[in-house]
Amino acid sequence: MEIYLYLALFSPLVGSLFAALFTTKSKTLVAGVVPSLLLFTSFVSSSILLVHILNGGAPVHVEMMTWMATGDLYIPFGFVVDQVSVTMMMVVTIVSTVVHVYSIGYMDHDKSFNRFFAWLSAFVFSMLILVMSDNYAGLFIGWEGVGLCSWGLIGFWFHKESASWAANEAFIMNRIADLGMLIGIFLVYWNTGSLQYDHVFEAFKGLDVDTLALIGIFLFIGAMGKSAQFPLHTWLADAMEGPTPVSALIHAATMVTAGVYLVVRSNELYSLIPEIGLFIASLGAFVAIFAASMALVNRDMKRIIAYSTLSQLGYMFAAAGLGAYWVALFHLMAHAFFKALLFLGAGNVMHAMHDELDPFKMGGLGKTMKATMVMMTLASVALAGLFPLAGFFSKDAILEAAFVEHHYVIYSVLLFTAGLTAFYSFRLVALIFHGEERYTLFGIHPHEAYKFMLVAMSPLLLLAIIAGSLKMTYFEMVTAILPDIEYHIHSHVTFWIMTIGTQLFVVIAILYAYKKYTTIGMNVPDGTSETENTFMYKLLKNQYYIPYAYDEYIVKPYTKLSALFWTEIDQKVVDATVDGIAGVIYDSGEQTRDMQDGNLSTMLRWMVIGTIALLILAVMFGLTARYAHVLG
Amino acid sequence: MEIGLNHYLVLSTILFAIGLVGVMRRKNLLLLFFATEILLNSVNIAFAAISHYYGDLTGQMFAFFVIAIAASEVAVGLGLLIVWYKRHGNIDLDTMSTMRG
Amino acid sequence: MVDHILSILIFFPALAGMFGFMINKDSIRAYGVAVGVIEFALSLLLWFWFDGGVAGMQFMEQIPLLPSFGINYILGVDGISLFIIVLSAFITMIGIASLTETPNVKNMIVTLLFLQMTMVGVFSALDGIVFYVFWELSLVPMLYIIGAWGGPLRIYASIKFFLYTFAGSLVMLVGMLFMAYFYYQATGEWSFAILDWYRLILPENLQLWLFLAFFLGFAIKVPMFPFHTWLPYAHGQAPTIGSVILAAILLKMGTYAFIRFSLPMFPDASVALMTPIAIIAIIMIIYTAMVAFAQKDVKQVVAYSSISHMGVIIIGTFALNVEGISGSVFLMIAHGVVSGALFLLVGVIYDRRHTKLMSEFGGLAHVMPRYATIFGLMLMASVGLPLTINFVGEFLSLLGFYQQSHILTLLAGTAIIVGAIYMLAAYKKMFFGDVTKEENKNLPDVNKRELLALIPLSIITIWLGIYPKPVLEPINKSAEAIVQLMHDKSITDEAKMRIPSPLNKAQTSQTSSEGAH
Repeated sequence: MEIYLYLALFSPLVGSLFAALFTTKSKTLVAGVVPSLLLFTSFVSSSILLVHILNGGAPVHVEMMTWMATGDLYIPFGFVVDQVSVTMMMVVTIVSTVVHVYSIGYMDHDKSFNRFFAWLSAFVFSMLILVMSDNYAGLFIGWEGVGLCSWGLIGFWFHKESASWAANEAFIMNRIADLGMLIGIFLVYWNTGSLQYDHVFEAFKGLDVDTLALIGIFLFIGAMGKSAQFPLHTWLADAMEGPTPVSALIHAATMVTAGVYLVVRSNELYSLIPEIGLFIASLGAFVAIFAASMALVNRDMKRIIAYSTLSQLGYMFAAAGLGAYWVALFHLMAHAFFKALLFLGAGNVMHAMHDELDPFKMGGLGKTMKATMVMMTLASVALAGLFPLAGFFSKDAILEAAFVEHHYVIYSVLLFTAGLTAFYSFRLVALIFHGEERYTLFGIHPHEAYKFMLVAMSPLLLLAIIAGSLKMTYFEMVTAILPDIEYHIHSHVTFWIMTIGTQLFVVIAILYAYKKYTTIGMNVPDGTSETENTFMYKLLKNQYYIPYAYDEYIVKPYTKLSALFWTEIDQKVVDATVDGIAGVIYDSGEQTRDMQDGNLSTMLRWMVIGTIALLILAVMFGLTARYAHVLG
Repeated sequence: MEIGLNHYLVLSTILFAIGLVGVMRRKNLLLLFFATEILLNSVNIAFAAISHYYGDLTGQMFAFFVIAIAASEVAVGLGLLIVWYKRHGNIDLDTMSTMRG
Repeated sequence: MVDHILSILIFFPALAGMFGFMINKDSIRAYGVAVGVIEFALSLLLWFWFDGGVAGMQFMEQIPLLPSFGINYILGVDGISLFIIVLSAFITMIGIASLTETPNVKNMIVTLLFLQMTMVGVFSALDGIVFYVFWELSLVPMLYIIGAWGGPLRIYASIKFFLYTFAGSLVMLVGMLFMAYFYYQATGEWSFAILDWYRLILPENLQLWLFLAFFLGFAIKVPMFPFHTWLPYAHGQAPTIGSVILAAILLKMGTYAFIRFSLPMFPDASVALMTPIAIIAIIMIIYTAMVAFAQKDVKQVVAYSSISHMGVIIIGTFALNVEGISGSVFLMIAHGVVSGALFLLVGVIYDRRHTKLMSEFGGLAHVMPRYATIFGLMLMASVGLPLTINFVGEFLSLLGFYQQSHILTLLAGTAIIVGAIYMLAAYKKMFFGDVTKEENKNLPDVNKRELLALIPLSIITIWLGIYPKPVLEPINKSAEAIVQLMHDKSITDEAKMRIPSPLNKAQTSQTSSEGAH
C-alpha cells in the first residue's frame, strides 16, 4: 500500500516540476496534459487506498525520512492514510483532476498556460501533504505551501494591480493566522514533547484543561485564517481575482477547508474542551449568516459564490464545534463537489460573457448554454440543500446535530441561513440563465464551453447528486477514528416536521428569488431605488464596511507608522544620536586644533604647560603616597 | 656663610626659570637656542651639585653626557637655522608654521 | 595536512592574495576563482574530516606566541563554527565568480582573499587575542571595499562602519583583558585561551559587567537595535560583492561570538539579561521590518530585513536551550545563504538599470521571468516558508524561546507577518503590474555568470530546507555541549532552572518512558 501512498502524494509534484520546465516557454499543450495525467494517477492511487481502508484495512503509516531533529525535538516526514485523510485525499484528487482537465480548456488562450499548471499541481501537492502528514509540523508545511500556491494563483494575472494586491492580502492575512498556529504547535511541543498526532493525542489526556484550551484556541486561530472565518475573512472574496478554476479548486473545494480538517483531525483535543468547541460552533453559525447576508446583494458572480463558500464553511465549523466531526467532514466533502461545479459553471459563463462578472448584465443565457445551465442549477439545488441532492443530507445532518445538542440558537441561525442560501443561489441562477437577454445591449455573442470541459465537469455533477446516498457507508468508515455520534431526533413527528418544514422554507425562498429576478422589466440596481438607499442594503453592499475599516484603521496607519519610524525615528533619533556622538568628537578636535597651529613658540608654551601639569601631578601623587598612612 | 647644596639648587632653579621664560617669550630662533642652552646648563648645575653632595659620580657623568648631546644638538640646530635663513631671509619663529594642523 | 587544515584554510587565501599582485590583470579573475574553489574544496574537506559525533573542539592547533602572558595561537572548530567557515568559503567563491565588471579588479580580488583569511580566522580562533586580531582585521578589507568601490556616500559610510564597529570592539578588548586578569587571579597564570575561560566560574555581578563589555562589541557587529544605523549606510553604498559578504558572513561574527563567548562564559548574566535582550531583539524584528516596509530602495529593504532576521537569531541564541541555539546557528547559515542571494539579485538589476529605486521598476516578471522566479524563491525563503532553509532556523529559534517566555515569543513570532508584509510589497512593486518604464522593456534576463552564482544558492536553499540533518546534527551536538556547560557552571538558582540540562532531560524522559511501559 505504501507505494500507492507515495504515488498519490508525489505525482502532483512531478507534474508541477514538469510544467515548471516550460514556464518561460510559450504555451504547450503537454504542460497541461502531463500534470493532468499525473493527477489522475494520484486519484487512482487514492481510490486504491480508499478501497483498502473501506475493506477494513489498517491505516497506512510511513515515515519517509527525518526532517528536523535537535534537542528532544524529532520531526520526520511521516504520512498517514487513515479514514479521515483518505476522505480528504479523495476530495482533493477528484476535484483537482477535474479542474486540471477543465483548465486545459479554460486557460486555452492564456499566454501563461504552462505556469498555471505548474502552480496548480504544486498546490495539489501541498494540499496532499497537509492532509496526509502524521504530525503538526508536516501539516504546517502543507499549510504554508497551499498559502504560497494560493498567492501565486490569486496573483496569476499579476499585471492587474487588483490581482497582485489580493494575492498579497491573502498571504499576509493567512500569515497572521499562521502565527497563531505556530504558537499552538509550540504549545503542543512543550507540553507533550512531540508533534506526532498519535503521541500528542495520547498525551493530551494527561494535561490540564487550561493548557488544552490554550492549545485549542491557538490552533483554531490558524484554522480561522485558512478557512477565512471572521474577522480574517476579507481575503477570500478578494481572492476571486484569480482564474476561475483556481477559485473552484482552492477557494471553494480544498484549501479553505483545511481549517475544518485541522479541527476534525484534532478532534481528540477539541472533545476535551467543549467550551472552545461551543465557541467554534457559535463563530461558525455567525459566519454562516454573516456571509450569506453579504451574498444577498452582491453584483459579482464569483464573489457571491465566494460568500456562499464562506457561509458553508461556517456550517462546517458549527458542526465540528458541536462535536459532530464526521458530519463536518461529510459536509466538507459534499460541498467540495457542488461548489467546485458551481465555480466551473461560472467559469463557463465568464468565458461566454468575455469575463463579465455582473449577473445583471447577463440573463437568458440558458438558451445558448444549456449544459452549463443544468449543471449550475443542479449545483445550486445541492447547495440549497434540497432532497435528494448531496447538500440535503449533509446540511440536514448539521441542523439535526445542532438541534439534538440543544443549541437552539445555533440551530435557528443555521436554519434561517439555509433560506438565505437558497435565495441568493437562485437569484444568481435566475439572473444568469433566465429572464431578459440583457447581454445583447453589450453586443456579446455567448457560446457554450468546449465539450471536453463539460465532460470534465460531469464527475462533479454526478457526485453532487449521489454523494448523499453514500452517507451511511461513509459514516461507518470514518467513525472508526472519529466519535460515532449519530444524531437522531427521537420523536418521529418532530423529525418529519423539521425536515419538511426546512424543505418548504427553502423551496419558498427559491421561488421568491425566481419570481423577483426573472420578471420582464425588472429594475437593475443603479443606486436610485428605495431599497438601495436603506441602511441595511448599503451595509451589506459594503460588506459591513469591514474591508474599508481594515484599510483605514490597519493598513494606512501601518504604512504611516512605518514611514514615521524610518524618517523620524531611525534617521532623526537613532542615527542622529550616533552622528551626534561622532560630531562631538569631531567638534572637540576642531576646537582644539588651534593648539597645533604650527607655531613653534605656541607649541613650546603648551609643552611648558604640560610639563608643569605633569610635575604637579607627580608631586601630588608623591605626597599622597607618602602620607597615605596619615590619611588612613 | 658656606655655600651649600641649596644654593646651587636655587641657582639652578633661577637659571631654569630664566631659560623657560626665554623659551616661551623669544621669537628669534637663535635666542631660543640660547634659552635652551640655559635650561640644559641649569640642569647640569643641579646634577653636578647633587652628585657632589652624595659623593656619587653618576650625576657628573650624566652632566657630561648632557653637554655632549647639547653640543651636537646645537650643531645640528645651527645647521638647520642657517638653511632656514638662506631660504626665508629671517629666523623668526612665527614664520615657521608649515606644520599647522 | 589534517592537523593543520585550519591554518591552511586561514593563510592559503592570504598567501594567494599576495601572489595575486603579481598576476597579469587579464587572468586575475580566473586566478581568483581558482583560489576560491580550492579554498572551498578545502573547507569541504574540513567538513568531510569533521567527526560529527564529537561535541568538543576538533583540529586543534596550538603555537605559543607570548606564553608568559598566556597568548597563544590556538585554533579549533566545533559543530557551531564548522558550517560558518564552510559558508564563508562558499560565499567568497560565489562572490568572486560572479564579480561584475569592476574597475581595479585585481585589487578587489586581492582584498576579497584577505577578507577571506580574516573571516576564517575569526571563526576558528580559540584564543581571545587571536580572535580579536582577526575580528579587527576583517574591518580593513571591508572598509576598503566600501570606500573604494562604493556609491556616492562611500567615504561617510565606510568611516561610519569602521569607527562604529571599532569602538565597540575596543570595549570588548577591555573585557578580554579583564577576563585574562581574573583568570590570572584565580589560577596564578595568564591565559587568553577561550577553553580556559570556559572553566572559570565568576561571581554574578562580575559576570554582568563583563557580559556588558562583550555585549557592546557584539551588539554593534550584529547589529542590534539601537546600534544598527551603520548597516543601511554600509549596504547602501557598498558594491554588490561587499553587501553579499557583509550580510552573509560579517554580521554572523556578532551572533557567533554570543554563542562562543557570552553564553558559556557568563551563564548567569545571560539568564539575568535574557529578557532585556529579548525585548531588544523583538524591537529589532518589528521595528526594522516596518522601516524596511517604508523603504524606496530595494537594497535598503534587504538591508533592513537582515537586521530583522538577526533579531530572530538573537532570540534563538538567548533561548538558552538546545533547540533555540541549534536553531539560531542554523539560521545564521540560512540567513547567510538567503541574504547573500538577495543582495546578488539586487546587484543583477542594478547592473542593468543603475538604480535601486523600486519605483523605477514594475512588471519585471514580464521581461525577466527567470530573474523573477529566483527572486521569488529567495523571497519565500526570506519570509520563512517551510521547506526552505530559513524556516528550519526560524522555527527552531522561536520554538526554543517559547520555553522561556510565551508572550515574548508571540511578539517575536510577528516576524513571520511583518516579514511577509515588506517582502511581498517590495516584490509586488518590482515584478508585478505592467511594464511602465521604457527602459525596462528590453532588459535581458539573468545571464550565465549570474546563474552560476544564483543556482547553487537556490539549490542549497531548498536542499537544506528539506533535509537539514547533515548540518543540524553536528550543530545539535555542540549546542548540547554548550548548554550542558552552562547548566553545570551556572551558580544562581534561576539560571539552573532556566537552562535545562540536556543530559538530565534525556535521562528523565528515558526513565519516564520506561515507567510508562
